[in-house]
Amino acid sequence: MNRKWIIPFFMAIYLPLLSGCWSSIELRDLAIVSAYALDKNEDGTYVGTFQLINPMNVPGALQGGQSGQKPSIATYTATGGNPLEVADRASTKVSRDLYFAHTSLLVISEELAKEEGLSSILDAMERGLEFRTTTNIVISRDMKAGDFVQVLTAIDQVPAEKAIKSLEFTEKLYGENIATNLQKFIKAAVSTGKEPLVSGFTVEGDIKKAKTMEQLQSSEGEATIEVNGIGVFKEGKLMNWIEGDRSEGTLWVLDQIQQAPVNIDWKDKKEAISYKVVRQKTNVEAQTKDGKPVISVHIRAEGDLRAIDVPVNVTDPHVLFRIEKALQQKIKDEAEAAIHEAQKTKTDIFGFGEKLHQSDPHSWKKLEPAWQDVYFPALDVDVTVEAFIRRTGMRNNPYLFDLNKKSD
Amino acid sequence: MEQAKISTSQLFILMILFQLSNSLLIPLAMKAGRDSWLAILIAAAVSIFLFFIYRALYLYYPTLLLTDYTEKLIGKFLGRILAFLYILFFLYSAARVLREFGVMLLSFAFPETPLFVACAMMMLVVIYTVFKGIEVVARTGELLFVIMVMLAFFLFLLIAISGLIDISNLKPAFEDSPKILDTVFTETLYVPFGEIIVFTMIFPYLNQSKKLGKTGIAAISITGASLAFTTILNISVLGVPLIERSLFPLLTTIQSIQVGGFLQRLDVIFILALVIGGFFKVTVYTYCAVIGTASLFDIKEPSKLAYPMGMTVLFLSLIIASNYSEHIEEGLKIFPLYAQLPFQIILPVFLLIIAFLKNRKKG
Repeated sequence: MNRKWIIPFFMAIYLPLLSGCWSSIELRDLAIVSAYALDKNEDGTYVGTFQLINPMNVPGALQGGQSGQKPSIATYTATGGNPLEVADRASTKVSRDLYFAHTSLLVISEELAKEEGLSSILDAMERGLEFRTTTNIVISRDMKAGDFVQVLTAIDQVPAEKAIKSLEFTEKLYGENIATNLQKFIKAAVSTGKEPLVSGFTVEGDIKKAKTMEQLQSSEGEATIEVNGIGVFKEGKLMNWIEGDRSEGTLWVLDQIQQAPVNIDWKDKKEAISYKVVRQKTNVEAQTKDGKPVISVHIRAEGDLRAIDVPVNVTDPHVLFRIEKALQQKIKDEAEAAIHEAQKTKTDIFGFGEKLHQSDPHSWKKLEPAWQDVYFPALDVDVTVEAFIRRTGMRNNPYLFDLNKKSD
Repeated sequence: MEQAKISTSQLFILMILFQLSNSLLIPLAMKAGRDSWLAILIAAAVSIFLFFIYRALYLYYPTLLLTDYTEKLIGKFLGRILAFLYILFFLYSAARVLREFGVMLLSFAFPETPLFVACAMMMLVVIYTVFKGIEVVARTGELLFVIMVMLAFFLFLLIAISGLIDISNLKPAFEDSPKILDTVFTETLYVPFGEIIVFTMIFPYLNQSKKLGKTGIAAISITGASLAFTTILNISVLGVPLIERSLFPLLTTIQSIQVGGFLQRLDVIFILALVIGGFFKVTVYTYCAVIGTASLFDIKEPSKLAYPMGMTVLFLSLIIASNYSEHIEEGLKIFPLYAQLPFQIILPVFLLIIAFLKNRKKG
């Protein structure tokens, strides 16, 4: 063959291949799954509910889209022996190909998480090509996961988005829950020195009505999706829930607080001073003393005063110092309560074991087999807190302080 | 051997791209667990000695290929058999890399495409490059090296920004020191570092043979450092258990990137690195097999061999293993011990001793 012919020959061969449409699929043939919910049936099979985005009805997606009259999602339910079989069966009902690459939320019902655990479900998600390991996991409390993904939401038209945003914003602003994705969950579940945490969601109100457009026709709505509690897992199964103050304490120790309100009592008045953390750092150090593990937790918080409901002179640094002391005590109590709770249930959600492994691998080898059941519950944890008030907001003294002066 | 010359900077780039190639993408030295980065650095250091063995051989015969001077060293009959075995070794290595490339591409980007098609596409480009000769290979390297460096920089920036790095994943370090050395001498020294044995087929094209030593040391050190750095990055982002379960840790790392809620799912970076890296390793191996065969069987135009031998590599890549687990098992347990250890270390040392004795007599 001479060269004159070889080059055009190969160019011709490449032409049809370069277009790259071997396994092409048109956008109109895809059903984009925004959330996937899994429940357990009475006969032991899985019930999966798929929240599909209905592109015609998402406002802004198409000019002249019929937003506000039809729901922006559609849901389909199917049953099967494992999560993938469920998805396959669902295709008999959906006219398009289920596409999981944009699935941002995986909802597991409390019942399923408690009885069976997540181990049998997550492998399929981790191994699959489409499913991303950055997908968030949440648990629906006291309700079916299927119901949860069917509830319509007002501001964010796609309910999965609403759930994730609530999760992120409460984590950021309120410090009482935690966003966990597949990768984080599996990482913690695999480690012997750490246990995973997953946020719970509840729906308050009339769930049946919340699935219809009635939900979006009043400002109040028929039902609201809300973040509620942190679920603790042990050996892949849901063990118990951490709620309220204790969940805040847990996040303090986990170094997960970004902004959080702390309210303290002042001279018999309950929750008189409100403080907002804007910067926080927690260091956990693990050591062994005479063969016994010792953990020290050091929390450092910086923040501003937000509201003062008692007459105190905050222009006086000594007073501020006393408030800081009280804040330190409060945070310390919360953190210690959370640690005691975890020790009672014998689950090392803080990853103390992992820290010990990192600082003293030799003693960890001896402690590892009985860590969760023997050593962790008996652990000596020393919590120290430093809290700083950096600013007092736009005012110095509260007007209550001036009022008091006049009455004196 | 064709009439061509390459510069030291081109050799430097070729060596780096060749060694990084697939090693950047697959779990490297994972037997050493958390300390795999250290195993990589040690292996790189040891491989500098190997490089000096290859260089010494080259300095005895600066105008000859490895497959030519075996004949001069151990006689016509044995030397030719050994040269032939080396050619088979290069062909098989090319096929292994091609297979890895194909599987990687299919397992996460094109699940429905047959392996043959993915490998054939790559092989057609490789064949064309080999057909064009070493100068074209070297110039292509210069061009793509810039892209690789930019990708690496961009990637590191994104990972750093998205706050994924957790250095505590690297602790405790040096937990099991014997295991680190074990990993070095059973795995990491052979792939990718020992693979520079193929460059004994390229050294004769170098236009400034005096600078070979410096170029080689620089290329090996940079490769070692980049691989160790990538491993540190993977471990600190993913943690060891997840890497051990990942077929392609760097891909998992890239997939974890989320910057500002919109910069995410950057798999395309991985595909670019994969295609560039895979292309170079397969090309260099195939080129060396072709040039070796041409000189062994006295074929005047080596480029004529590009098509038949390229096709051989393509089909070999499809039949060497029935699935990817088998392929990896062969690559980690059998191939290093029975092929890479003798071809990369034992035989070159043996040849060097003979070369030394022979040349001393003359002197």
